Amino acid sequence: MKPSKFHYHAPATIGDAVGLLGAHADEAKVLAGGQSLVPMMSLRLATFGHLVDLNKVDGLAGIERSNGHVRIGALTRQATAEHDTTVASDVPMMAKALPHIGHFQIRNRGTVGGSIAHADPASELPAVALALDATLEAAGPGGERQIAAADFFEGTWQTALAEDEILTAVRFPVWGAASGFAVEEVARRHGDFAICGAVCGVELDGDAIVRAAIGLFGVGPTPVRSTLAEQALIAGGAGSDLADIARQAADPLDPSDDIHASGAYRKQIAAVVVRRALTKAIEEARS
Amino acid sequence: MTTTVGRYIGQSVKRREDPRLLTGHGRYVDDVQDAGTLHVAFVRSNVARGRITELDVSEARALPGVEAVYTADDLNPMIQQYWASMMGPRIEMGGESVYPPVSVLAPGDVRYVGDPIALVIATSRYIAEDAADLVVVDVEPQRPVLGLREPITNTDLVHPETDSNVSQTMPLPEIPEIEALFANAPHVVTRTFAGARATNVPMEPRGLTVHYDRYRNEMLIRAATQSVHEIKAFAARLTGVPESNVRAVADDVGGGFGQKMMVMREEAAVIMAAFKLGSSPVKWIEDRRENLMASNQARSEEGDLTFAVDAEGHIMAVKCNFFEEVGAYPPSAGATAMLAIGVFTGPYKIPIIIPGCTAVYTNTVGKSAYRGPWALETIFREQMMDHVAREIGMDPIEFRRINIIQPDDLPFKTATEMTLENITPSETLEQVVEMLDVDSFRAEQARAKAEGRLLGLGIGGYVEPSAIAFGVLNSDPAVMTMDVSGKVQVRLGTGSHGHSIETTIAQVVATHLGCDIDDVAVIQGDTATSPMGPGTGGSRTAVIAGGAAQTASIEMREKLVRIAAQLLEASPDDLEVNGGVVSVKGTPQAAIPFAQLAMTAHMAPDMLPEGMGPGLEVIARYRPPTEFTWSNATHGCVVEVDRETGMVDIKRYIVSEDCGQMINPMVVEGQIAGGVAQGIGGVLFEDMAYDSDGNPLATTFLDYLLPSAPEMPDFEYGHVESMSNTLGGYKGMGEGGAIASPPAVANAINDALAQIGVPALTRFPFGPSQIIDAINAG
Repeated sequence: MKPSKFHYHAPATIGDAVGLLGAHADEAKVLAGGQSLVPMMSLRLATFGHLVDLNKVDGLAGIERSNGHVRIGALTRQATAEHDTTVASDVPMMAKALPHIGHFQIRNRGTVGGSIAHADPASELPAVALALDATLEAAGPGGERQIAAADFFEGTWQTALAEDEILTAVRFPVWGAASGFAVEEVARRHGDFAICGAVCGVELDGDAIVRAAIGLFGVGPTPVRSTLAEQALIAGGAGSDLADIARQAADPLDPSDDIHASGAYRKQIAAVVVRRALTKAIEEARS
Repeated sequence: MTTTVGRYIGQSVKRREDPRLLTGHGRYVDDVQDAGTLHVAFVRSNVARGRITELDVSEARALPGVEAVYTADDLNPMIQQYWASMMGPRIEMGGESVYPPVSVLAPGDVRYVGDPIALVIATSRYIAEDAADLVVVDVEPQRPVLGLREPITNTDLVHPETDSNVSQTMPLPEIPEIEALFANAPHVVTRTFAGARATNVPMEPRGLTVHYDRYRNEMLIRAATQSVHEIKAFAARLTGVPESNVRAVADDVGGGFGQKMMVMREEAAVIMAAFKLGSSPVKWIEDRRENLMASNQARSEEGDLTFAVDAEGHIMAVKCNFFEEVGAYPPSAGATAMLAIGVFTGPYKIPIIIPGCTAVYTNTVGKSAYRGPWALETIFREQMMDHVAREIGMDPIEFRRINIIQPDDLPFKTATEMTLENITPSETLEQVVEMLDVDSFRAEQARAKAEGRLLGLGIGGYVEPSAIAFGVLNSDPAVMTMDVSGKVQVRLGTGSHGHSIETTIAQVVATHLGCDIDDVAVIQGDTATSPMGPGTGGSRTAVIAGGAAQTASIEMREKLVRIAAQLLEASPDDLEVNGGVVSVKGTPQAAIPFAQLAMTAHMAPDMLPEGMGPGLEVIARYRPPTEFTWSNATHGCVVEVDRETGMVDIKRYIVSEDCGQMINPMVVEGQIAGGVAQGIGGVLFEDMAYDSDGNPLATTFLDYLLPSAPEMPDFEYGHVESMSNTLGGYKGMGEGGAIASPPAVANAINDALAQIGVPALTRFPFGPSQIIDAINAG
């Protein structure tokens, strides 16, 4: 479990980083927290001639609120976001999802942007970004561009980022005060990739639901947004039959089998975690 | 003469190993960097079974930094003898033990995924792995031999050198009188149980550095091993280097659980490679993927059980037929069912047992010892106790009470001719029942069910054949020396791999010698300084090495007392030993410290008593009075099963055990906790599964799910201390935690599920997916 030989680059600016990616094309890979990349290289499941380390690049980490959004720099450590008061108050779904990622040692090193850009379909943050309509900021040779989360996740470990683009930040819209959020997941052990998980949010106006978010992960090649179930929930309000809403979220899924669970199990559990998450989210929104 | 026995024995003395180990300052095999060390990487098969059609190492050999690339043709023909001390010589050598065919590298065909095909030696592990990638291997795949029963009749052979995949078998006999008994019994219950394939997963994988100096004809081996004496003897047999010229050293070893007891194929390959090279130290450190994929497996076992029970619930007779796969290259026979049959009756009065067993070779990694190698007897029997109780409408605890061995029954001769004595199975059962407060639990269970929550309770009991003492395992030595300053060294043939031997044996020595524990050094893990012993494993060290240390300590103390009596002009009977000082009883000022006695013995021999020689050395060896020293325990487990997700939450876990005189209760409880964690893992998490092509599916920790701290409940302990007939009254207890916990957890889950009419699960693992499948089907 030793990686094959590679060149290590530690650029100081995002421009230099993008330049290195352009220069080395598919030979290059961005290194952020390294919690997925480094093991894959050690197992020689991935081989890259050039690593472009973003850890020395200024300005890639940080959390700020402006214009109804919370902007989290891509290199912000997961542990930093987990304990950040702005994230806790303004993007509670994120704060609730973060403790499910690995163990604290992993979150101390792992980054918010790295997890989203790695796009493992069983991980939490891509589902959070998708469910909350996050905007992803990317830097490339042509400058910056913004990508809607709905357009970002293309497949297992595949995103809309070009080979020479770097995810620099994620912007989350801040929901109103009468909102509630919950994260429910089934994993074999604490910190494992989810067998199946749900991230849910609701914003209430009395018993009416004015905004709903239902995201699922671990059930397909990308995180899944259950738009139809969201619409049904908005139509039915807080008194909806949540089990029925959850079934609508689970019905279109076609998850596959692996050593940890069958696809049929994942699909059955998807309805359970969505119902439980919605129940908690509505409770929280009411309190 | 008296001494304060118990000053250290029985106390939870803090582990003397911990300061260095817990601060990261242990000295493991990879921590020793000899100058000029070369590094090994293996080229391994990614096909389960097939013929090697091309093997080209030329490009790898040409890579700068590569010293050698060896294949089967280089190493296999050089092998002199290949057998393990514990099992004895091979059948073709006149011995009785079954072994797979000899090879250290794949001999023209591959027989499991992970099978080593070539061995690369380079100046760094990085270069060695680069070169391994350059070895061209082409394998023509063949249909793999897989499963526990199918290989029995499969004409495709794992080993073409044999005429059958069956490595060992004892067919289930058909005896007319017994068949009649079963036909007429009031209750007959039949079940098949299956374990989940597991592997040991020591924190430190295997590894060794071998330096063969051809000019001295000497070999130095540093290894992560449970037994330096075994690897020394094995290397000598393998290479033909005289055993007296081989030295094996193990400093700190990070776990083994049986994996490091016998020499395995890669280790033998590294020994052969270093012998062929004849110059530099050659180091191989197994990485985690290799450890998971290619070290060893265990628990891929099934049992067909039939119990005949009378109208009152007494077990009349049992049939048990075990099936196990031993993989392709187990380090010895691999099969463990025979021993399991021997102890299958466990803590119960089962008058008749009709046993059978069959072990087969398969195209998977070899089977080897894993904490409680015979555990299938308890794992299956204790689940069966619950299945039978449920079927005959009896409470599982009551069913156990009716059948369990009571104090009056001892010594008890089992249906397999074992004599159980000095055990307390009914006492530990009752202690667990009391700690669980079973009546309150049943009320709570009913209340929970009314709320839609599923609680369950499970029991597991066992009797452990600890401290096996026959063959090479018959005894353990202790060599004790006292130096001029009065400090004592005790040299053992043990091999600590995470035990607390430096602490516990020091407690034994300090107690029986009558000195401060800080004045005792425990030395082990080096064949140059330690006398021959079989190493640490099989729950033997406290019992057997402890007995040897006790014997040596008492003899040393007697010599010191005699010297003191001479110097004090007193009778030895009037002296007492305390804190490293010999004094006259009632006259504490008339006292001589060990240091002065030692100085006399070493430097003033003329002052010694008439007839006593100079120096202070004692050689002791202890052989227990019986081949097994029995210990026992009962485990109790309470779980909550989430009926919607199948997730299991362990609410309580209780162990009541009897390991006789406890040397160090903290260490005893630590051993129990570690074993229980492994047992819980075996039910809920761990599954070294293979697919239908013979590919291992859990070769990283992403997929091989070890239980970790957040999954563990707080363990509660109860102790019953009944003395064994060994010298210190000790009983081995290193494996029991792992043996009795799987059925306790399984029974608790099935107790929970039974409330909603779900048929009991019988095949591990009981993961959430399997539990939901059962609920859906029920």
